[in-house]
Amino acid sequence: MHRYIIRRLLLMIPTLFGVAVLIFLLMRVVPGDIVALRYTADGGSVSAETLAAERARLGLDKSIPAQFVDWMGGLLTGDLGQSMWTGRPISYEIGIRFQVSLQVAIMATIFAILLSIPLGTLAALKQDTWVDYAIRIFSIAGLATPSFWLGIIMILGLLIVFRWLPPMATVSFFRDPWTNLSQLIWPALAVGYRYSAVATRMTRATVLEVLREDYVRTARAKGLWERVIVVRHAMRNALLPVVTIIGLEFAFLIGGLVVTEQVFNLNGIGRLMVESIIRRDYTMTQALVLLTAAVFIVVNFAVDLLYAWLDPRIRYR
Amino acid sequence: MAVAADTGVAVLDERGRASRALRAVLRFCRTKPLGAAGGALILAMVVAALLAPWIAPYDPLETDYAAMLAAPSADHWLGTDAFGRDVLSRIVYGARTALLVGFGASVIGTTVGSVVGVASTYFGGKIDLLVQRLMDVILSFPIIVLAMAVVAVLGTGATNVILAIAIPMIPRAARVIRSSALAIREMPYVDAARACGFGPTRIIFRHMLPNVVAPILILLTAFLGQAILLEASLSFLGLGVAEPTPAWGLMLKGAAVEFAERAPWMGVFPGLAISAAVFGFNLLGDSLRDVLDPRLRLQ
Amino acid sequence: MRAPSIHRWLAALAALLLVSATTLPTEALAQQPRRGGELTFVVSAEPPSYDGHRETSFAHIHPVAPHYSTLLRIDVANNYKIVGDLAESWTISPDGKTYTFKLHDGVKFHNGDTLTSADVKASLERIVNPPPGVVSARKASYQAIDRIEAPDPLTVVVRLKWPEASMLANLASPWNYIYNAKKLAEDPRFPEKNILGTGPFVFVEHVPGSHWVAKRNPNYFVKGLPYLDGYRAVFIRSASAAVAAVRSGQAQIEFRGFSPAQRDDLVRALGDKIRVQESPWTCVLTVVFNNEKPPFNDARVRRALSMAIDRWQGSQVLSKIAIVKEVGGVLRPGSEYAASESELVEYPGYGKDIEKARAEARRLLKEAGQENLKFVFKNRDTQMPYEPVGIFLIDQWRRIGVTAEHRPSETATWQGDLRNGNYEVSMDYACDFMDEPDLQLFKYLSADKSPANYGRYKDPVLDDLYVKQARATNEAERRKIVRQFEKRVLEQAYQVPTIWWQRIVPHWDKVKGWEVSASHYLNQDLRDVWLSE
Repeated sequence: MHRYIIRRLLLMIPTLFGVAVLIFLLMRVVPGDIVALRYTADGGSVSAETLAAERARLGLDKSIPAQFVDWMGGLLTGDLGQSMWTGRPISYEIGIRFQVSLQVAIMATIFAILLSIPLGTLAALKQDTWVDYAIRIFSIAGLATPSFWLGIIMILGLLIVFRWLPPMATVSFFRDPWTNLSQLIWPALAVGYRYSAVATRMTRATVLEVLREDYVRTARAKGLWERVIVVRHAMRNALLPVVTIIGLEFAFLIGGLVVTEQVFNLNGIGRLMVESIIRRDYTMTQALVLLTAAVFIVVNFAVDLLYAWLDPRIRYR
Repeated sequence: MAVAADTGVAVLDERGRASRALRAVLRFCRTKPLGAAGGALILAMVVAALLAPWIAPYDPLETDYAAMLAAPSADHWLGTDAFGRDVLSRIVYGARTALLVGFGASVIGTTVGSVVGVASTYFGGKIDLLVQRLMDVILSFPIIVLAMAVVAVLGTGATNVILAIAIPMIPRAARVIRSSALAIREMPYVDAARACGFGPTRIIFRHMLPNVVAPILILLTAFLGQAILLEASLSFLGLGVAEPTPAWGLMLKGAAVEFAERAPWMGVFPGLAISAAVFGFNLLGDSLRDVLDPRLRLQ
Repeated sequence: MRAPSIHRWLAALAALLLVSATTLPTEALAQQPRRGGELTFVVSAEPPSYDGHRETSFAHIHPVAPHYSTLLRIDVANNYKIVGDLAESWTISPDGKTYTFKLHDGVKFHNGDTLTSADVKASLERIVNPPPGVVSARKASYQAIDRIEAPDPLTVVVRLKWPEASMLANLASPWNYIYNAKKLAEDPRFPEKNILGTGPFVFVEHVPGSHWVAKRNPNYFVKGLPYLDGYRAVFIRSASAAVAAVRSGQAQIEFRGFSPAQRDDLVRALGDKIRVQESPWTCVLTVVFNNEKPPFNDARVRRALSMAIDRWQGSQVLSKIAIVKEVGGVLRPGSEYAASESELVEYPGYGKDIEKARAEARRLLKEAGQENLKFVFKNRDTQMPYEPVGIFLIDQWRRIGVTAEHRPSETATWQGDLRNGNYEVSMDYACDFMDEPDLQLFKYLSADKSPANYGRYKDPVLDDLYVKQARATNEAERRKIVRQFEKRVLEQAYQVPTIWWQRIVPHWDKVKGWEVSASHYLNQDLRDVWLSE
């Protein structure tokens, strides 16, 4: 087990390094230039020399390998550097957004778990009845509705029907939990619907699978109360793939919510990422992509460990 | 199920094959009513796309400034948009964009992903490890960043959107197919083919790939729905196809949001079209999985 | 003399009140500015840095400008007259080369330092001739300045190399914040991350991506101002979220403006609680041709494409769905030197008989051998007003048999393509802080003279006319030369204006003392703004 953990941790390094190289190169291939954008797109008339001087100040005049070495050197000493756009430390800029994204992700996950596990299990137990069909249609509809569209409809609905709108500016949960929740609950619901749909389907499929397993049939044949079998045997095993899906979706929500964040005006990671790319803010984009990739990889790893904990039969190479 | 052609087993005459297929379809409809409903939705979409010029009452690009933002009526069944263009005609023609992008992206994504997955299991060892790391890199890369980069470098347009959507599908397909292919690698016929001195290309394409056709098909239907949805999101962000091309995601953007209250038909109907298409592909995909490979786990 | 008894005073007061209540309209009473309250407004982007000398976006002006004073300001309510801000008065020498400014006495920075001419001198010098590492975005407008002197603590003298009519306007630019000389001496880049001004509001807090808070400056040098206790700017990128914020009352105004549909929704939902202010905007979308790429090096092709655009219909149709309205030439319609409608209709592409114009356009294309012209039309992917105007143009060209493929891209890509000449035909725009032919005509000068011209053409005739109008001694003469310039631009059609922007600001009626102007950069110090409830 320990060897497995160490091996997995070591394997993260080449993956993250690959992500770093890829985003670094991608940003340099993408046309456009932060300095020209900032000083001329809105009607400034700045001389070519000033633009060149400003590029030099940002380190953009250096060769591409030199820029990469600079960045890596900073990362190794734990320094993410400064945003090329605002000049503020990247760790500060990301910190503000990360809390928002994390909270929405957590709330959406709670919502999805509360909804999907009972619904999915119920659908499996009542396979091919109207209950099953209704649940399946509800969950497939969740997959088929764009979250941003749901968000727009929610906002319009709240505005027109209740003449009320969730707060537009985020307040920390610890400072004012009520305002905080009344803002973040809506985006959490909008993305949580799709999220729960994914998880419901997975729960249904795995519960069905487990119900067909020999040991469950045996238990049933022995006359044990069916409920007990389901809860004791089936659920525990059925949960494994569900945990995977929930983990993957959770990782996606950190940085993956771009349109929803726009619709609800959330100051989140996804919006910052898109804005940074639009501005050609290399340092900020690189840091954000690396961060979201790291979250993805770590969550995946955590899911695998949870697997081992939930199911001791699983052995690792 | 699919059998490698080399073994020379299933040789049927054309008529027999056709009637067998028909019977299979009928059985599918009877046992999987939800799947059949999904198939019907998709069929409607395909028909709309193919016969668009005959079905659509108007030219989807034709503006009519005398009928801007007109509500649904006998002239315009689903109303008109901010430029007086007929919403129904744009939805009908939009099916073309949706199918083109959906099929284009998911076919490329699953094909490349499957080849990568099978090849990487075939070679195994260091190559497998390397390919897996590469796939991990793409998998952990935010989709939106990839899409924005592709569009920024190559520009907007259907081909580039297909590429932007297909790339993140590759590692996802490769993962699923790899696990299916792992079992096949140890099969006697693969060993036999290797003993015959066949090259890796031949073994991968003629012996291994045909045996993972079932999971590939299931992946394809699952990806189709996702691709259509992703295209809508990308269009909404201005990263999809460009106006005035009729496309569903595009129809939800801009004026549709602005006029959501005064002219809700502008956004509601294309939104329904997207949902119906994705819904159809998911229903069909689910049932297909039940029939082909109930143990396969997908998102 | 015996003091009047308290009763008589009270009686007089009561009589006065009675008289005023009956004679003065109640509205006038309500117009008495009220002190207090916090104004919340939406900003649809965010200031990259706090330094106004280097920034170019309204997203900087809206939250930051109220912290600073400038030497001069443009009085929007008074027909855009240039008035003093920190300058109490000024004189211009008869040769037009020496400007002498007298400053207000006793102006304090927010940290308690007293403002002197040294601060003004240091700030202006930073704009005219920035030290290394500092970018001055509008340096090019101040080339005429020779030197700046501070002979005594309350006098600033600006000496020019040559007289320039637009110098006073440029000195009144809303970007020219006066900084603290002592801080600039310590660190020339101090204003990028710190706010220290003499303006009506004091900085409190900025949370990136979220909001900006300021409170009233009790020591503001104009007594009694500002009226507000403070303001809060919230950053909302999505237009629909911004409208929702105003509609729900979480914000009272967005100073840049909303679209016609959003205006109508707000009015319908909130009735007379909403007041709508509109103004033609000193901004225009232009179609720019790459004059180096055939067939766009052929004036006939360019003119045909300009003539195919039915600007009058466009004005009518697009004003319902986009933030554009008036038809105009190279100057904002209705501004001092702009062409009248009867002058406009004489230009190619501005006639009222569109069928005739289209026939002529087809003929020109045929003559040039370009009957089935196809090209890629590049555009900025900004929704308003780029997309609707782009769709409209493509449809107009379709009507003369020309196929334009629309290719919108992000600002950085679009702008890079324009700068590098990587386009055939593209949308471009011009936006200035005030109506001044020097500013608006600049865009059409030869590419080597004007960095804002992406058309890649050279035209000495235009360059010559530009200098002539700038130095014209009287209004009528200048007007004549401006017309010649405009006619030449539209006939050669190197780049042509489409329809001018319309600024639409629907806001809560309780926001008083703010007047919409032709520029979203002007009139944003908020010192006269107050809330009636």
